Amino acid sequence: MTTSMPVIQFLPTRGTVDLGDVLRDLREAPVTAPFDQSRIDYISDLATRLRRKGRGLPETQALAYWMRKAELHRLEDSFAELGNDRCLLMPRGTVFHVPPANVDTLFVYSWVLSTLVGNRNIVRLSSRATDQSNLILDTMRETVVDHPEVAGSTTMLSYGHDDRLTAAISAECDVRVIWGGDGTVNRIRTTAIPPHATELVFADRFSMAAVATDAYRELDDAKRDQLAELFFNDAYWFDQLGCSSARLVLWAGAQDPQPLAEDFYGRVRAVARAKGYQVDPSAAIAKFSQACRTMIEADVSAYSAPDNTMSVLTMDGFPDVRGEFCGAGLFYQLHVTALAEIVPHIRRADQTLTAFGFGEDELRDLVRALRGRGIDRIVPFGQALQFNRFWDGYDLLAELTRKVTLSAGNPLA
Amino acid sequence: MIPTTPGAPPRTSSSQVAMSAVLADLFARPQFSIPQQEKDRLLLTELTDLVDHHRASCEPYRRITDGLGWSRDRVRSIEDLPYLPVSLFKTHELSSVPPADVFKVMTSSGTTGQAVSRVILDRGTADLQSRALSAVMARILGNQRLPMLIIDTKNVVRDRNTFSARGAGVLGMLPFGRRHFYALNDDMQLDVDGLREFLARYDGQPILLFGFTFMVWKYFLQAIRDLGITADLSGGILVHSGGWKKLAEEAVGNAEFKAALRDATGLARVHNFYGMVEQVGSVFLEGDDGFLYPPNFADVVIRDPATWEPAPDGTPGVVEVLSVLPHSYPGHIILTEDRGVVHGVGDASSGWSGKQLEILGRIPRSELRGCSDTHAFDGGRR
Repeated sequence: MTTSMPVIQFLPTRGTVDLGDVLRDLREAPVTAPFDQSRIDYISDLATRLRRKGRGLPETQALAYWMRKAELHRLEDSFAELGNDRCLLMPRGTVFHVPPANVDTLFVYSWVLSTLVGNRNIVRLSSRATDQSNLILDTMRETVVDHPEVAGSTTMLSYGHDDRLTAAISAECDVRVIWGGDGTVNRIRTTAIPPHATELVFADRFSMAAVATDAYRELDDAKRDQLAELFFNDAYWFDQLGCSSARLVLWAGAQDPQPLAEDFYGRVRAVARAKGYQVDPSAAIAKFSQACRTMIEADVSAYSAPDNTMSVLTMDGFPDVRGEFCGAGLFYQLHVTALAEIVPHIRRADQTLTAFGFGEDELRDLVRALRGRGIDRIVPFGQALQFNRFWDGYDLLAELTRKVTLSAGNPLA
Repeated sequence: MIPTTPGAPPRTSSSQVAMSAVLADLFARPQFSIPQQEKDRLLLTELTDLVDHHRASCEPYRRITDGLGWSRDRVRSIEDLPYLPVSLFKTHELSSVPPADVFKVMTSSGTTGQAVSRVILDRGTADLQSRALSAVMARILGNQRLPMLIIDTKNVVRDRNTFSARGAGVLGMLPFGRRHFYALNDDMQLDVDGLREFLARYDGQPILLFGFTFMVWKYFLQAIRDLGITADLSGGILVHSGGWKKLAEEAVGNAEFKAALRDATGLARVHNFYGMVEQVGSVFLEGDDGFLYPPNFADVVIRDPATWEPAPDGTPGVVEVLSVLPHSYPGHIILTEDRGVVHGVGDASSGWSGKQLEILGRIPRSELRGCSDTHAFDGGRR
């Protein structure tokens, strides 16, 4: 390496280092078999420490819960089902992760799965570190000291806008994982990865919630409040900017849903108030501006914003409102007679459908009718932001390993 | 907010805006002279008619006001009228005139890559804006053209194709003065000899000074102090605009600004103004008490960003500006991205009627989490 490429490293140690040295060390670090005990121990140890240190930080708690020992064993069991004695799962090698800037825990998820299946990992962190991501990194650094056997297999670092460094890392990787807006994805894709390497891309997505109007009508007050709280968690945890957080709310049923919809929104607003959800003036202006833009570009029949926590635009048809979004509690609502009506309007960018009140068969029929044109996951209210190995249509555990097949038959027998 | 003033003001041209009796009245009477109660009534009629005018002429505006539930019957005060977020002029070209009637498209300044506002002017509205600005400036300058000292470089207006807010501001003010002298060299150094010569020529006479607030402070006042220049500006009238953000970083507010000018140069008549490219002509002018006053054809409402309800006097909120001038584009009622507070209403006997506005600065951008792709590489998502 002739030119120096300084980067700020956060893991395994903290400091300014040369990327050339980092890559050389990483190349020499061993991979392990998937779910090697050393990796499970490291991750579950990290989970324990995060749970302790991340008190009062719900995202960190959710992360720690997701990577607790019992969950890792469950993950191991389901992973085992992907292969057998004649189809052996092996790590892919070196995985280059480019997580998003603003969801402060997301960089951990794809890294955990990749670590568990035995890969070496290099994570390019955003330079905009938050308190929460710093806490996680500190905890990782502290944990790795007690797990020297895995210390060399992960490096986390950050650097400015320098395609040269991205290219240098990309040239080393077997899998590149990009999380980001469409602009980020396109930018990174201009740098090549080796011919044998694969790429997982998690680009901008759009998500929606659906309520079966009849089912909602049957709920008593307590249940309705509960549903509103689940919806609130799904939508507001990341200021409605998580790609899995609903922006469009579908009310499905024969009758006019408006009275019930208003009942529901009133309860969501009450939850927001009770939890002290704040919309600062800049976000409030952004919401109002987006509402006005939508009125120009789509058919809006009503706009309701009794307070700033939740603004609702009633749409006359399935709106194409994907793309740039203000967040902070702006919702489009649409009445459909049956859920199946949305099929022709669904696009590739549509990710999560959070559903309440529909039977499993009805939802399965929807998936079949969609034929993969969009919607990658359907989950109950309250689970929109629950990350798992299946994401955006990928099975990450499968994508981060290769299948080696073995057939030992004797051709001469 | 972008401080901008329109092109040549005292110009005669046939207005294409049919002047209503109210509009004619607002122009005919001395600026800043109408008691608030009467003004409320006059503006309400005129602005309500403008809502209907733009609804009939601008389809996007009609769609928005429909969406917001516009109903003329429910309007009791100017606070009930629908307002557009100022950012809409960046994302949409909003016009209430046929393309053939477009006389000029005003744009706000913006750094490269940033969206700029586009404001559609026909001759009628451009003319109203020019006349409005003249009327406003006449309140402090009278109807004479004073020798004018511009606290900027000549470069800023030399190339009229590279339209900057600063350039537009200077260009808009030029007609209010004569014998223009640009006090700064191209490298922003004070032209000391030129200044001495200018002041010697107009010794003791009233002169007009114009510049952007920060430039007045940094390149004019500080240079005068640093170089130990004796400049008697006691006959001067300074008009300045551009915002206090940079000065706030140096802990300089309006009071410090004025005191420092007076101490160093004897300059006592200092008027800040507040205006924006989306409402050219309707500039708010600083009265003798330091508050910004809307001229006859404009007003202000402060809104509570938590509810968008009007905030009571003394309570800071988001500034909404109203002007009866925009006929060719629906910019008559705009929700700005500025914070401000109305302290009360001026006393007509002081010569400054109307609401007493203080601008508190830009609303800070929020750092929401989740997805955003504003930074080319650092885009986040989940």
